Amino acid sequence: MKRLVDDFWKSAVLACLLLTLAFLIGPLIVAISMSFDARGYLAPFPPTSLSLRWYASFFANEAFISGLWNSLILGFSATLVSAIIGTMAALVITNYDFRGKAVLSALFLSPLMIPAVVIGLALLVFFSRAGIFNGFFRLFCAHVIVTLPFTVRAALASLTGIKRSLVEAAMSLGANERQAFWHVTFPIAKPGIFAGCIFAFAYSLDDVAASLFLYDTRSITLPVALVGHMRANFDLSVAAATTFLAFITVLLIVVLDRLIGLNRIVGRGLYR
Amino acid sequence: MISRRARPVGASALPGIGTSRPAARRRNFVAGVLLVPGLLALFFLLLLPLANVVVESFRPYVPGKIGGLVDASFTLSNYAALLHPVYLDYLNTMIWCASLATLGGLVMGYPVAYAIARTKSHLFRMCLIALLVGLLFLSALIRVYSLELSFGTVGLGRTLSGLMGVSSNSRTYAEFLVVIGLMHHSIPLAALLITATIQNINPRLVEAAQALGAPLWRGHMSITLPLSMPGILSAFLVCYTTNLSAFVVPMILGKGKIQFLSNLAYDRYAELANFPSGSAIAVQLLAVAVIVTYGIGWLLRRRFGEGIH
Repeated sequence: MKRLVDDFWKSAVLACLLLTLAFLIGPLIVAISMSFDARGYLAPFPPTSLSLRWYASFFANEAFISGLWNSLILGFSATLVSAIIGTMAALVITNYDFRGKAVLSALFLSPLMIPAVVIGLALLVFFSRAGIFNGFFRLFCAHVIVTLPFTVRAALASLTGIKRSLVEAAMSLGANERQAFWHVTFPIAKPGIFAGCIFAFAYSLDDVAASLFLYDTRSITLPVALVGHMRANFDLSVAAATTFLAFITVLLIVVLDRLIGLNRIVGRGLYR
Repeated sequence: MISRRARPVGASALPGIGTSRPAARRRNFVAGVLLVPGLLALFFLLLLPLANVVVESFRPYVPGKIGGLVDASFTLSNYAALLHPVYLDYLNTMIWCASLATLGGLVMGYPVAYAIARTKSHLFRMCLIALLVGLLFLSALIRVYSLELSFGTVGLGRTLSGLMGVSSNSRTYAEFLVVIGLMHHSIPLAALLITATIQNINPRLVEAAQALGAPLWRGHMSITLPLSMPGILSAFLVCYTTNLSAFVVPMILGKGKIQFLSNLAYDRYAELANFPSGSAIAVQLLAVAVIVTYGIGWLLRRRFGEGIH
């Protein structure tokens, strides 16, 4: 009897697991296969014949392509600046002892908790009052702020893991603080900091809520262009963009795995 | 201010390094230089704009003008408008959808977390982790678009809404779409956060319970589940804040029938250019986020100990 109940429980949990995985993956498979649909209108799944017409229409769309470039430039520049600022701040937080340290690190992590819409609106009102109307600059500022928690947190995590004795060893052998940093601390912390950059870049590449307030016609980003397109006419050229963005996601995952190993994201655990 | 209090960490361990006066002063100077860019960015791009929004939310609205009237006296009218039943209804729907999606994310994420923590196959474990991290990285637009294709009118929409006894154009079905849209993000998030906790639970405990005659489900319910509570609760906090501040999911999947506070704030700006009212909504949204993160977080920590982040 107990065996039977246990078997039933196991298969129920397994069924729940499979259902969840189907729910997570299924829609993506539908969208990716629909992007190869040859029909010229939005028709039920599955596609009856295949073509690349929606890819052609995606790449022929001026707004999408310039949006893609803007997004990539914005993502790279904002991530770079955010990583530099964030790592600098994390260095002080890990190496110095002062009152208000907890408040300071909470402040650096706070943009993660504040809804992106609030940040977008706040910056819009602020920049309008300050007379700054350059779209790219406004987006850049917003993206630096929203990605700061990712880079700070990653830098904090990888810097705290470094044994102080390593730095002390370098300094007792004659290195000064700066040399100890560039030759010991930074090389050890680098993979973790880069992993934080990947998170920051992915977040920046996806941001709609803050960007919608701040873009102008010359700095429109891909997500903003896609949202506009989706609201105006829901066609399959977005499905082509889906495949493209899914490919970028896979690329980021591979880089992340090479950098720190995906296993480290959930940790090893005591009973593993 | 900060740099003066700073003192070298390794001073006692290493006499001769960082103890002399000029060296300590230099270290403090370096700390100041390192902190300045971050503090400037936070002050000018976060704190000042947020304070500005709070002030803005008390200003009277003048149609056709960017920003509220500056010279006029402050008013509470932007907040009074938020007490209108229509707004309370929006707020209600938002909290309901976010709560449901968070709960669903936790319930459906838990078995996935359990599978990652306990599977014996390294390959299966890595595939699951890669999938979940990939789903977290996945653009919200892809998520929304794929779900609309699969569960909208061209997909399972007619069938599912028929089963629910409503039209696929109804508000109820839009609510359903928004909830599953949020869940598609909450499930991987919750699963990854819970996995770390389950890995620290000794599997022998359930085996012992079984040896003493408990059925497997009983063992899990009275051992694994309570022990993984810290992970579940921190996952709850993270998912709940993300869901409450969702923007793209309600905007596209809600089809105008479901609006979260973030959508309302955007519409105030985009359609009416009513900055004071948009600011009041933004302040309200911020208050919700702060209450959930710090308020509920504090309550849970007090009840379940410090293990919750």
